Amino acid sequence: MSGTASNRSAADIGGDDAGPVDTLDRGMKFWERQANALRSVVQRNQIVLVDELRRAAEDLGDLYAKLEYFERTTLALRALLIEKGLVTEEELAARMAEIRARFDVPDEMESPIKKGKSR
Amino acid sequence: MTLGLRTQGAEPSPSTYAPAPGHRFKVGDRVAVKRSFPPGHRRTPYYIRGKTGVIERICGAFPNPEELAYGFDGEPKKVLYRVRFAQPTVWPTYSGPARDLIEMEIFEHWLEPA
Repeated sequence: MSGTASNRSAADIGGDDAGPVDTLDRGMKFWERQANALRSVVQRNQIVLVDELRRAAEDLGDLYAKLEYFERTTLALRALLIEKGLVTEEELAARMAEIRARFDVPDEMESPIKKGKSR
Repeated sequence: MTLGLRTQGAEPSPSTYAPAPGHRFKVGDRVAVKRSFPPGHRRTPYYIRGKTGVIERICGAFPNPEELAYGFDGEPKKVLYRVRFAQPTVWPTYSGPARDLIEMEIFEHWLEPA
């Protein structure tokens, strides 16, 4: 392709070699369900728009290709909530420290229901 | 959707559906996608920029997603077209049948007469 590759979005990979495609469905992790639920709520209430989420995900740049889907969407949501002044970095860090201290998040893949089913 | 059927025909007949008032292009017009590489959130894939196709239908007018992406209201609305391209003109090394098509929805501000 001729022309400059500058400003090509990290998500704009149409025509590139995809390499091997991993088609194994691993289900959703505990945190992915939680994060996806939060994203659904703020999107449903038009606090953030899908267009903004896409833009914020693309703004991850080189990180974009290294992350899994829910990591991208969650980092995009985090960036937008901070950008819109709904939370601050400090509040987020404090809340995460508080939760980490009082609650040992279970590994869903180790639950009796999931164990033995996947992977 | 009859997309699969239409792509099998020798010469697909374009739609005449045209709901958006004030559109610059009409069904059947030849258009070129702008060879432009601005920064930011853009809804026209890199690989189609600079390519030439034909207006297949006018989809309507919608708030500009390239503005919505930054928290603006997306007004004035932009006319969205479905543009039909011949696959061999899109991919220099295309090895499929010459009649293969790709159709893409592209906003008016990305299109020029061709």
